[in-house]
Amino acid sequence: MADPDLDFTSGDAGASVTYPMQCSALRKNGFVVLKGRPCKIVEMSTSKTGKHGHAKVHMVGIDIFTNKKYEDICPSTHNMDVPNTKRNDYQLVDISEGFLSLMMDNGDVREDLRVPDGDLGKEIESKFAAGEEMLVTVLSAMGEESAVAVKPMTK
Amino acid sequence: MMAAVGAPEVISQLESAAKVLMAPPSMVSTEQRQHAEHIFLSFRKSKSPFAVCKHILETSKVDYVLFQAATAIMEAVVREWILLEKNSIESLRTFLLTYVLQRPNLQKYVREQILLAVAVIVKRGSLDKSINCKSIFHEVSQLISSGNPTVQTLACSILTALLSEFSSSSKTSNIGLSMEFHGSCKRIFQEDDLMQIFMLTMEVLQEFSRRENLNAQMSCVFQRYLALANQVLSWNFLPPNLGRHYIAMFEATQNVMLKPTDSWRETLLDHRVMDLFFTVHRKIREDSDMAQDSLQCLAQLASMHGPIFPDENAQVTYLAHLVEGLLNMINGIEIEDSEAVGISSIISNLISTFPRSVLTALPNELFASFINCLTLLTCSFGRSAALEEVLDKDDMVYMEAYDKLLESWLTLVQEDEHFPRGCFVQPAVQVFNSYIQCHLAAPDGTRNLTANGVASHEEEEINELQEDDRELFSDQLASIGMLGRIAADHCIPLLTGLLEDRVTRLHGQLQRHQQHLMATADPGTVDRKVLDDLYEDIHWLILVSGYLLADDPQGETPLIPSEVMEYSIKHSTEVDINTTLQLLGSPGEKATSIPGCNRTDSVIRLLSAVLRTSEVESRATRASLTGLLSPQMGKDIVWFLRRWAKTYLLVDEKLYGQISIPLSTAFGADTEGAQWIVGYLLEKVINNLSVWSSEPELANDTVELLVTLVEKRERANIVVQCENWWNLAKQFASRSPPLHMLSSSVQRTLMKALVLGGFAHMDSDTKQQYWAEVLHPLQQRFLNLINQENFAQICQEEAVKQEIVATLEALCGIAEATQIDNVASLFSFLMDFLSSCIGLMEVYRNSPETVNLIIEVFVEVAHKQICYLGETKSMKLYEMCLTLLQVYSKNNLGRKRLDVAGEEDQYQDLLLIMELLTNLLSKEFIDFSDTDEVFRGQEQSSGAGRAVSAADVVLYGVNIVLPLMSQDLLKFPSLCNQYYKLITFICEIFPEKIPQLPEELFKSLMCSLELGMTSMSSEISQLCLEALSPLAEQCAKTQEKDTPLFIATRHFLKLVFDMLVLQKHNTEMTVAAGEALYTLVCLHQAEYSELVETLLSNQRDAVIYQRLADAFNNLTASSTPPTMDRKQKQLPLSTPSTTQRSLSPCQTMEMLSAAQAETPMGLQTRMPPERGERPAKAERGRPVGHDHLSLI
Repeated sequence: MADPDLDFTSGDAGASVTYPMQCSALRKNGFVVLKGRPCKIVEMSTSKTGKHGHAKVHMVGIDIFTNKKYEDICPSTHNMDVPNTKRNDYQLVDISEGFLSLMMDNGDVREDLRVPDGDLGKEIESKFAAGEEMLVTVLSAMGEESAVAVKPMTK
Repeated sequence: MMAAVGAPEVISQLESAAKVLMAPPSMVSTEQRQHAEHIFLSFRKSKSPFAVCKHILETSKVDYVLFQAATAIMEAVVREWILLEKNSIESLRTFLLTYVLQRPNLQKYVREQILLAVAVIVKRGSLDKSINCKSIFHEVSQLISSGNPTVQTLACSILTALLSEFSSSSKTSNIGLSMEFHGSCKRIFQEDDLMQIFMLTMEVLQEFSRRENLNAQMSCVFQRYLALANQVLSWNFLPPNLGRHYIAMFEATQNVMLKPTDSWRETLLDHRVMDLFFTVHRKIREDSDMAQDSLQCLAQLASMHGPIFPDENAQVTYLAHLVEGLLNMINGIEIEDSEAVGISSIISNLISTFPRSVLTALPNELFASFINCLTLLTCSFGRSAALEEVLDKDDMVYMEAYDKLLESWLTLVQEDEHFPRGCFVQPAVQVFNSYIQCHLAAPDGTRNLTANGVASHEEEEINELQEDDRELFSDQLASIGMLGRIAADHCIPLLTGLLEDRVTRLHGQLQRHQQHLMATADPGTVDRKVLDDLYEDIHWLILVSGYLLADDPQGETPLIPSEVMEYSIKHSTEVDINTTLQLLGSPGEKATSIPGCNRTDSVIRLLSAVLRTSEVESRATRASLTGLLSPQMGKDIVWFLRRWAKTYLLVDEKLYGQISIPLSTAFGADTEGAQWIVGYLLEKVINNLSVWSSEPELANDTVELLVTLVEKRERANIVVQCENWWNLAKQFASRSPPLHMLSSSVQRTLMKALVLGGFAHMDSDTKQQYWAEVLHPLQQRFLNLINQENFAQICQEEAVKQEIVATLEALCGIAEATQIDNVASLFSFLMDFLSSCIGLMEVYRNSPETVNLIIEVFVEVAHKQICYLGETKSMKLYEMCLTLLQVYSKNNLGRKRLDVAGEEDQYQDLLLIMELLTNLLSKEFIDFSDTDEVFRGQEQSSGAGRAVSAADVVLYGVNIVLPLMSQDLLKFPSLCNQYYKLITFICEIFPEKIPQLPEELFKSLMCSLELGMTSMSSEISQLCLEALSPLAEQCAKTQEKDTPLFIATRHFLKLVFDMLVLQKHNTEMTVAAGEALYTLVCLHQAEYSELVETLLSNQRDAVIYQRLADAFNNLTASSTPPTMDRKQKQLPLSTPSTTQRSLSPCQTMEMLSAAQAETPMGLQTRMPPERGERPAKAERGRPVGHDHLSLI
């Protein structure tokens, strides 16, 4: 990423699922790996031991797939892993047995994603039942995927 | 008077209700409790309850019922005063007093409530010539002379109740009378009765102070009278000609200084009064509670000023006596902990109250002893304060006392030209020395030493919210810095010597560690104790040096303090300039190793001692010893350098009467010294940014130093000549390490600095080259990226996302660099990006964090630039914002996100959008664009076709925000505030747009207003009220009836009317509510009359009906019918003649409130239950409308 002549054209085959970043450069609302899980940082603060100590970063993150809360504290010089995340919008074509049928850009349909738990899942199901056309946003990171948002089709 | 018919029934009903109220929560239901409360409330409102109450007081055994009976009497007397026979009032008062006297075992709260009723009766009667309540003082003095402690305590309680009632402070009861009434009562009281109370109190104190031994009971009585004396001396004397509106403000003042009227002259200028308090204090000083009262009395006496002194001589005599007494009191005693704050209050009061001329007129010897005593006290409190810190005490009494004394020193020495020359030098040296000593480690100092010399050293966790010492102790440091200037001859060399010594030791210590590390390669074995002690010493030495050499750099151009300048000039003949420059230019060498180092300028040498510290730090980082360094010391160094640079760098000779040759030679414009130091500072900044990226605060202070170097053209001109500057710019533009590891806020500020530097003076080729290296790479990389054919496919790749985020951050930084002289070019540059950003909104529509950042760019651009933009440019920005909002709306309408983070994301988007809209609106009131020459040649005459206005964008934005705004989101206070600020702005600025809104939007806007008025905080409520007047005026202007807005305002009339007349409301809203009501009444006069009629028709009591009807008639009588054009938005102080006849909104409000306060109308059903406990403060804002303009 530091290379100014970075090649933006190549695909992501073989790309690592995470990349390192110095703790101090992380930002609230950004992502980080805590306890092996990809998290969205919801709280970040610094502290030090003694007036002449070095900064430590305290982070609270929420697992982007399970909504579980994780915390970590580490010296701010340390590198943390940041997950590569991706969001894609797919058109919802069917729901069957708790799985979403989503149409990809190339016309293929994938049927491997569960209807998410909670309010979002209910919203998707009820709107689908009402015959509304929807786009489902799928978030992927570290080999996992999940539907995280839904929006009625406008176009 | 009503006979006690059915009294036993009433009593049993009240007693069982009391039982319910007193029962534990688990035993009774909420309904039962409410019912019981209701019984008491309606009992207190019953008509002429006097006979029943007397009966209750005489027979009931339930304390709470007795308490309620006393309250009922108090409320009824005031309510029915004008209907009552005067002699029955008098007999009522006598009854109550006798009642208390005969029952020494009453519960305290019952007794106090009955005495309160007595005090209220006395006060209500004090303006009524037909009734004489004065006899009470005679009765009280008889009680006092009884010699019986219980009776004396009772007498004290009566006096205290009277004092509270008449003080018009928050302690005063709410009796539904006007501000003028309270004011008049107070004025009469303070001339006569207050003095009687004071005399009575003095007699008691005199009596007690003569006794040898006081038993516990006696001493208790003594204490109560002492507290009473304090209350009298803290009386906030109401000046004779203070207008009504100022009374409320006046009464709210804290820390009242004693300013009695001249009728008190004989009483308070009598030396025996002061002597008595000194005697009293001596007697009771070991009792910490009483000592606080006696010292507070003395502190009040020390604050005495105003008409009581016939002339300056009287003041001098008084002060001399006070100072003598004070010195006698302090000398020869060991001060108790509990005395420290009190004694320092006496001193700080007398220093801030008495004019310099009076202080200097004191006999020389007395003045000298006073200063000497002050010096010793300051040093001693400082040492005790340090001990408190070591012991980590919760209650830092010495710290508070020390702060007060240091502040007094600042007051004294800031005007030292009034005093004998040099009289503060020796004291300053002592106080300065003791401060330094307390902050240095042993053996030079006593830091962290407990009283018996044991060192304590603890490492505590410090979080980011804790303030840095330079802010936490800024007041202390400012005083010490000032004293250091007074005694510059001593203090500057002292600081220099200590700092040079510590730096040498730090250097040695780091070297030893390095050797040790090379030998063992185990960093774990390093003992940081010695290092931390050195860091802490250096920390304080740098802070004090910074405060001594320069003032807080917040102002425009901070000047070199005159004392420092004079000091440098005074010694300039002994100074060798070349050696001085050599000393300055060789921060890597030990100062003392330079031949002739003692013939250098001391001010420069102190700076160079800090540069030496900086150099040791930089070298350690290069030797990979960063882990051993203190980021705190790093912060101190850049903080100092920034403060120093603002004042000394490129010192402008024109600003000074005389200038020191060494200073102007070393730091003046076009000097090698200045060039050298700019280069040095730049190198420091670059080094810090690469090694300290992990320390957010240090990185931030560092980048702020960089901004300081370039924000002024003169300094920037030198900066851009440095090669390092160009390297930094190139490095940042290429996003190469280590700069990209800095936090985003530091990166933004760095970008800002780089842009600011680009406006320095350069020839056009250089300038072009500069921009080609700083801004163009940004643009180029960005365009290359987004113009790639497959951008839509690769946009989710991490490297691409990072590139985008970095660009957006940089754009925010560029916007932040906007100044009036660069806005033209920055605006054009940013505009190109903004349209691409809108494209990005589409691409990253499902990445909330990116969307957020894009909106932020718009917020920053609008915030920094809109006020400078002319019409065409503004239009361009409006259009851009409009498109942004359209895209946002399209992508977010109906979107539902995962629950956890979803609401937070949405909240942040909305907050930013509202901020953007508010920024755009701000153009309407902050507009510098008539100085449009900044766009000279660029602005085309576009005259016709104003396509988009701010109103359109903002209303469109509101249209987007409203549907997304849920009740849940309004629970975020910042969002709620921003939202209501925005809609109030809109109503005030574009009332004509409101009727044109789409129906749905109009409805939700009106709903929002109603919701804000009725169920939000008082601040929000006030905002909504402010929005109503412009809406009503808009209706009046168009003359159209039955429009939705017209109908809506009619609804608001009822809301505001109910709010003012029938409900409890906060007095802070008085003006806004009055204004709203006035305009609404003008618009809907028929409906208003109807509201009044309805209210009146619900009132069955003929007498009350009449009073209420009169109040409403009075309200509109002076101006029938009320009209809009008479409306005065501001309080019309300057034009009394016109306003006396017309009805100002404030008057409207106040007269209506008067109607409410004087009559119990409608209250039976509508008044909230806590009515009885409503604080007096709310009441005082509701005066009857007479003599409104007494102020003028």
